[in-house]
Amino acid sequence: MPSEGPYVYAAPIYVDVEYSIGSQSHKSIEKKERVLIGRMPIMLRSRLCTLNGKDEAELAKLGECPLDPGGYFVVKGAEKVILIQEQLSKNRIIIDSDSKGRIMASVTSSTAETKTKTVIFMEKEKIYLQLNQLKKKVPIVVIMKAMGMESDQEIVQMIGRDPRYSSLFIPSLQECAMMKIFTQRQALEYLGEMVSMGKTSSDPSVKVEKACELLLNVFLANVPVKQGNFRPKCIYVAVMLRRMVDAVLNADTFDDKDYVGNKRLELSGQLISLLFEDLFKNMNNDILLAFDKSFDKRSRSNPPNFIKYIFPDTITKGLEKPISTGNWDLKRFKMHRKGVSQVLSRLSFIAALGYMTKVSPQFEKTRKVSGPRALQPSQWGMLCPCDTPEGEGCGLTKNLALMTHVTTDDEEGPLIYLCYTLGVEDLELLSAEELHSPNSYLVIFNGLILGKHRRPQYFSNAVRRLRRSGKIGEFVSVFVNEKQRCVYLASDGGRVCRPLVIADKGVSRIKDHHMKELQDGVRSFNDFLREGLLEYLDVNEENNALIALYEGEATEKTTHIEIEPFTILGVCAGLIPFPHHNQSPRNTYQCAMGKQAMGNIAYNQLCRMDTLLNLLVYPQRPLLTTKTIELIGFDKLGAGQNATVAVMSYSGYDIEDAIVMNKSSLDRGFGRCIVMKKYSVKQETYQNNTSDRIVRPQMEIVKGELRLDPKMQILDADGIASPGEIIRPHNIYVNRQSPKCTRGESSKLLDSDYRPSPATFHGIEGETTVIDRVALCTDIDNKLCIKFLVRHTRRPEVGDKFSSRHGQKGVCGTIVQQEDFPFSERGICPDLIMNPHGYPSRMTIGKMIELLGGKAGVSCGRFHYGSAFGEPSGHADRVEAISDTLVKHGFSYSGKDFIYSGITGCPLQAYIFMGPIYYQKLKHMVIDKMHARARGPKVMLTRQPTEGRSRDGGLRLGEMERDCLIAYGASMLLFERLMVSSDPYEAKVCKKCGLLGYYNHKLKTPYCTMCKNRDNISSMKLPYACKLLFQEMQSMNIVPRLQLTED
Amino acid sequence: MDPQPEPVSYICGDCGAENTLKQGDVIQCRECGYRILYKKRTRRIVQYEAR
Repeated sequence: MPSEGPYVYAAPIYVDVEYSIGSQSHKSIEKKERVLIGRMPIMLRSRLCTLNGKDEAELAKLGECPLDPGGYFVVKGAEKVILIQEQLSKNRIIIDSDSKGRIMASVTSSTAETKTKTVIFMEKEKIYLQLNQLKKKVPIVVIMKAMGMESDQEIVQMIGRDPRYSSLFIPSLQECAMMKIFTQRQALEYLGEMVSMGKTSSDPSVKVEKACELLLNVFLANVPVKQGNFRPKCIYVAVMLRRMVDAVLNADTFDDKDYVGNKRLELSGQLISLLFEDLFKNMNNDILLAFDKSFDKRSRSNPPNFIKYIFPDTITKGLEKPISTGNWDLKRFKMHRKGVSQVLSRLSFIAALGYMTKVSPQFEKTRKVSGPRALQPSQWGMLCPCDTPEGEGCGLTKNLALMTHVTTDDEEGPLIYLCYTLGVEDLELLSAEELHSPNSYLVIFNGLILGKHRRPQYFSNAVRRLRRSGKIGEFVSVFVNEKQRCVYLASDGGRVCRPLVIADKGVSRIKDHHMKELQDGVRSFNDFLREGLLEYLDVNEENNALIALYEGEATEKTTHIEIEPFTILGVCAGLIPFPHHNQSPRNTYQCAMGKQAMGNIAYNQLCRMDTLLNLLVYPQRPLLTTKTIELIGFDKLGAGQNATVAVMSYSGYDIEDAIVMNKSSLDRGFGRCIVMKKYSVKQETYQNNTSDRIVRPQMEIVKGELRLDPKMQILDADGIASPGEIIRPHNIYVNRQSPKCTRGESSKLLDSDYRPSPATFHGIEGETTVIDRVALCTDIDNKLCIKFLVRHTRRPEVGDKFSSRHGQKGVCGTIVQQEDFPFSERGICPDLIMNPHGYPSRMTIGKMIELLGGKAGVSCGRFHYGSAFGEPSGHADRVEAISDTLVKHGFSYSGKDFIYSGITGCPLQAYIFMGPIYYQKLKHMVIDKMHARARGPKVMLTRQPTEGRSRDGGLRLGEMERDCLIAYGASMLLFERLMVSSDPYEAKVCKKCGLLGYYNHKLKTPYCTMCKNRDNISSMKLPYACKLLFQEMQSMNIVPRLQLTED
Repeated sequence: MDPQPEPVSYICGDCGAENTLKQGDVIQCRECGYRILYKKRTRRIVQYEAR
């Protein structure tokens, strides 16, 4: 259970160490098994977590909630989520145009050793290479020659002999010839001149060496060079060039950076493995250094102990710190990222769940471009189209859809071997001419060109068959790109993919008996996957599939069938009933608001010690549910109540989305909530070994009577307040005393050596708050820490915020006695009244259907469904069916009721649309926000009122308000606001020198320090901040002089 | 108040055993060694408002 103590949930990392001692002649190998090198934080509910695979009863026994999604870390007592990071895919050719309109092909190479970026661009019809390690651009033909392609003919052949291609390449060839570079040696020497790294030398052999190193390690670092064979790199360049020239000839061959297939999602595992790699390598270096140092001093006869140089703390701390601060700073990988991990928000169950699916953007949020923010068609089924924040992060911060899976790295070696066995012709065996021959396709595996295949369809089908039969990993994707004449294979991590039902010639592989077995629990989803009924497709491979939305819509050409259309939405949007009947932004608003709704947090919510906990007293499950609600367990941990809503106008307190509430409903517990707040008190220890003490309250004698200070009334005999006591503002809950002297030598301290430093409660005046729980524990620094959980039960009041599940928020406008509320013939009286003006402009038809469905649900005793796009598949009830149910139970088909006015008792003129709607109470409550001040505390420095509600601050009359008063000419009001009610000050000013004087209390007269006399002093009022400014300016050698005139 | 105050007892968060603590004691359950102790509910009579 987290947040009870300052603990880290981590597991030890043990290694077996083997090293040899002694000289060449008599070597002895030392072995040490299970050496601790550090502790690795464990993600909750991951495979290594103790909670993994436990059933509900076992989890309950451990005090854990079975509905908790896991996926977070516990570091220093806080729950931390490592957010999914969105990135552009590595090791792939991206054709794009830059700000100057130049066409460029770029590759971000990432290998185990380095990370480099290679850019080839076209300028004035000539093609150049750009690298960070190069002083200036280098013609690409020079690079080709440096890699051993001395023949111009071969270069042209590699790009394509077609005159359209070759003619575009001729200027580049010409430029190289003009530079008189014909041989590899010449090219390398020229390139060596351009390299900016290392020391400069005029020696040609040094230059050549530098150039070779650049080509080997920096230029396209992801393409391996075996035994000095640069041909794969040449071919890679040729393919890049060909695609660039393609882009010149045909503009739609540009790559889209926002396309989801060109993106990779980095998960916490990858981020932590980067951290660990860095720390482990550092540790090895440190050990080597420390070992060498001590080895020199030591006598050779004494064999050194290697193990004692391993400090497990470095790795433990090095892993904990980034997770708890969120700063990933890795010099080795040139990575400096902030905000990677965040505290898991436990405002509601949905908020916590929503955090796990959040994808944080690759760009800074300030970018004004609309491209990355727009909804991409390729997001379908992978990222939720609704769930994105409003404002600066709009469209950049995304959330995963319900069935999305993010791949992890799969082993490459066997797959490459498999490709060659399936008939891929090796690159080494191809001539330049054959590279773009029209009768075969290039095979590219994880961005690496393997070779060519003559029958791409046969090849891709073979790979798919192997995948479906489970011979290769289920997340390996094959994608035939007809336009680029390439077959792309991918097994890298971070691709988003989703499961689909496989169809053969339009007939689903899942038959009725399969579904029956699934229902009976004989088979599971994974069995379907293993048996080749389902498969995962990534975004690229989806382009080779024809996916039917429903089984009935499948045709002969259909290859896949969607599992369920509602899975294109994420968890937050999944709560909305009938979202497909709403205007799209309303669903987006609800996604943000669902996270603020109060309800249940987890089954163990009352055992947790959260800093702030908002709970609903009587949470309900929605009458109108969706399949998503059942899947994520929202029906077990609801955040709202089914309120009977009458859509009508009532009084004037319902304008601007305000709602009128029934007082009797509030008495019955509607919208009642519990707010629990944690207060911690620490027993401090000081330098001189003294420490605070917590003592029982002492009686005092007042007017000859022995009594206890009323502030200390709730304290127990140990000086700590007990649970169950009512605590009011100014009450003391820990009777702490601190030593008066905290420095110097310590002696036996007497009672008189302590001064009281009690913990006083600052709550809301006039409210009843109760101490719920008191826990005692020791902190990391071995100090006693007492934690108090203070409970406050609140009933709704005017100004509290409520919302339905359709982005329709509103505050409580007034609370009316039930006697005055309208009622129906059956005696049904609504819980709240909503103004019908909320409908026309918002167009939330889903809310109306929810009302109808809810009404039918309570009358027939069955929960109705409203899953997104669920009508054809039966996951959502149709309005016709709902109306029939209503009629059967004696209601109007339209959901309207015959209503009597509660005030006059007469029937209302119109029929009223009335029924239950699931309402959420949002965490924003007036009691936490209301604030007023007449007089109060001031800031020491400026003597102006303090700022902010928490400091009982003033309400500022700002610059713009001031401008209004100036424009209106209300000078006295201005004077009163800016000085009299703020910081008036009586200043003594010398009329002669214009500087500020002071009042000399000894001489009982004002005095000017500048003129050294008291003759020309007059007194005037000015804001204290103004006097302060003058003095600050004087301290910087600026003389502000006041010129006084009589009036 | 009485001159000899009876020691306040605390409940272990893990095993539920009652522990008594003195000034300067380590916060730890004597039975199971768990490091979080909870205070018992007040014995005084409290009257809450039911609103």
